[in-house]
Amino acid sequence: MTSETLLSVRSLTKSFSLKGFSSFGRPRPRFRAVDDVSFDLLKGETLGVVGESGCGKSTLSRLIVSLMQPDDGAIVFEGQKVGHGGWPLKEYRRQVQIVFQDSYSSLNPRLTVAESIAFAPRIHGASKSASMSAARDLLDRVGLGPDQFAGRYPHELSGGQRQRINIARALVLRPKLIVLDEPVSALDKSVEAQVLNLLKDLKSDFDVTYLFISHDLNVVQYMADRLLVMYLGAISEFGPVQSVYATPAHPYTAALFASRPSLSPEKRHVAPPLTGDPPSLINPPSGCRFRSRCATAEPVCAESHPPLFPLGDGHAASCFMVGPGSGHSRAPAIGTTTVPDTGARH
Amino acid sequence: MVAPAEIPPLVQVRDLHVSFRTGDRIIRAVNGVDFDLVPRETLCILGESGSGKSVLLRSLMRLNPPRRTTVSGSLQVCGLDVEHASDNELSDLRGGAVSMIFQEPLTAFDPVFTIGRQISETIVRHDRVSWSEASRRALDLLELVQIPSAKQRLSMYPGELSGGLRQRAMIAMALSCRPQLLLADEPTTALDATVQIQVLVLLRRLQQELGMAMIFVTHDIGVATEIADRVAVMYAGRFVEEGPIGAFVAAPMHPYATGLLAATVNAAARDIRLKAIPGAPPDPSRLPPGCAFEPRCEFAIDACKTGVPELRNLASGRSIRCIRVGAAP
Repeated sequence: MTSETLLSVRSLTKSFSLKGFSSFGRPRPRFRAVDDVSFDLLKGETLGVVGESGCGKSTLSRLIVSLMQPDDGAIVFEGQKVGHGGWPLKEYRRQVQIVFQDSYSSLNPRLTVAESIAFAPRIHGASKSASMSAARDLLDRVGLGPDQFAGRYPHELSGGQRQRINIARALVLRPKLIVLDEPVSALDKSVEAQVLNLLKDLKSDFDVTYLFISHDLNVVQYMADRLLVMYLGAISEFGPVQSVYATPAHPYTAALFASRPSLSPEKRHVAPPLTGDPPSLINPPSGCRFRSRCATAEPVCAESHPPLFPLGDGHAASCFMVGPGSGHSRAPAIGTTTVPDTGARH
Repeated sequence: MVAPAEIPPLVQVRDLHVSFRTGDRIIRAVNGVDFDLVPRETLCILGESGSGKSVLLRSLMRLNPPRRTTVSGSLQVCGLDVEHASDNELSDLRGGAVSMIFQEPLTAFDPVFTIGRQISETIVRHDRVSWSEASRRALDLLELVQIPSAKQRLSMYPGELSGGLRQRAMIAMALSCRPQLLLADEPTTALDATVQIQVLVLLRRLQQELGMAMIFVTHDIGVATEIADRVAVMYAGRFVEEGPIGAFVAAPMHPYATGLLAATVNAAARDIRLKAIPGAPPDPSRLPPGCAFEPRCEFAIDACKTGVPELRNLASGRSIRCIRVGAAP
């Protein structure tokens, strides 16, 4: 893995207004699904994005593949902005593809799977025969024999097989980046393992970069090189997978990890790590968005949203407890940095 | 597993088969299930989609669509023969001695009545108390399931609550008539990780305080480990392995159960290739004549194809449906 940047997300912000609310001339309530998010995606890595529902991870994925336009901020792909005189969308989408959670609704039910896979090459000017042979080749690469499967329709396949079709379709234009938005969440465990193995194989075969979105912390730990933890539209922690899992610096990350069911009846949870649900995005807490559920919140946390404080080794957390001189009683003194004890595992 | 003689079982299921007619096909969802459940016990039924786990759970309250469903075998729940009970007896059972909670509380609640009204209705129906007494008890129930500012929530509609609170409200409604048995169909699957563990800890505490038995259907081995006393692994409509949860997670025995645990991603697996089970579960309208797992099983021999293996009891209180495992040499 090189540390060359493939895609940069710069201060990305997207807000929505609430539909179905009677407005009576008043502006509809708006909420920010993604609020000032910045990070770099490195060439060849798998960046995992985790967070609970409403944290903005799916909005982020749709912004990155340009299915939605941001209110503010920019996406820079290989040094050039996307849209607005930079990358033309058609060319950008050839480089950046997406696989969705719902394998059925993302396929056209009236096209055979080979036609679905061949669709994008046709749009991009390949001949019909070249597109179809590319489709058959990809069917083979994702483990579905082309003679047996090319002529089938989506409803004739199982969920795992359909997700393989979606992966083949994402790969057919030889993109540089694939956004995987909960690709295995709808699959059964025995099938999930097959698809995860396939994704790992294809990544090295096709030399692609993955942005892997999931709510399943075990799956992300297995797949990702670096990890982005989101809470209510903002990044709460960012860093190499090993160091974030070994020493989570943000109390939300720690609680998320501690909420995983134990795999031993002797180690059952006696109390939940967090109480309550994530608050509503329409009226988020002032300052740090996590403070309403945080056991170590102090008055400083209500004043402003904590920036991402660097912790060394590319690990950073948006919490005043790790910000030198931030005013939180647990913060380190100015001039010192808290480098978490990485390397404890692996 | 048979319960000790002095405690009569709360649930007794013998050779249960459930099938559905759809068009010209017959879907065989449950294909011979036997089990007993004693009071205060939690049984987790672990299985993948299509394994028949939800159909089995629903048949305990006769909730499967009556016109299309064919049931055989015997089914005793809280002293009632569910298959031969009258509609009145069933109405008394449902929500009274036996309650059920579902995966998606938004569809289980009626959207046009308040939470308080729906909980009270259950209490009025079963305990024949006044509406004001019922709504007082509804408030107590919301506090029991730790819903903050419970009094205001009583007058809210289901759509106004967050997912976690809705699931708590559904648990409150299920507990409103002090059931002896709570049936839970993936109640935490739609919840976020931090909320899921809250609901699991709550359910376990309530089960102990109220002395209920629970049958908990899940596809998640982690959830089973948090809540179960015993676990039954279901595949193609049959239990393939059954036993105490601790012994099961420490050393699963059936090849399907072993494969399922090996395929579950965990922290230790990072640089190892996952050991996936090849293939997919069989079509429930075209089950193989022998062991249903045989086509995917790496230990299969010719004898596996010739008949469905019996669920054999082992000395350790576990039972297993496989001719290759635990057989005397």
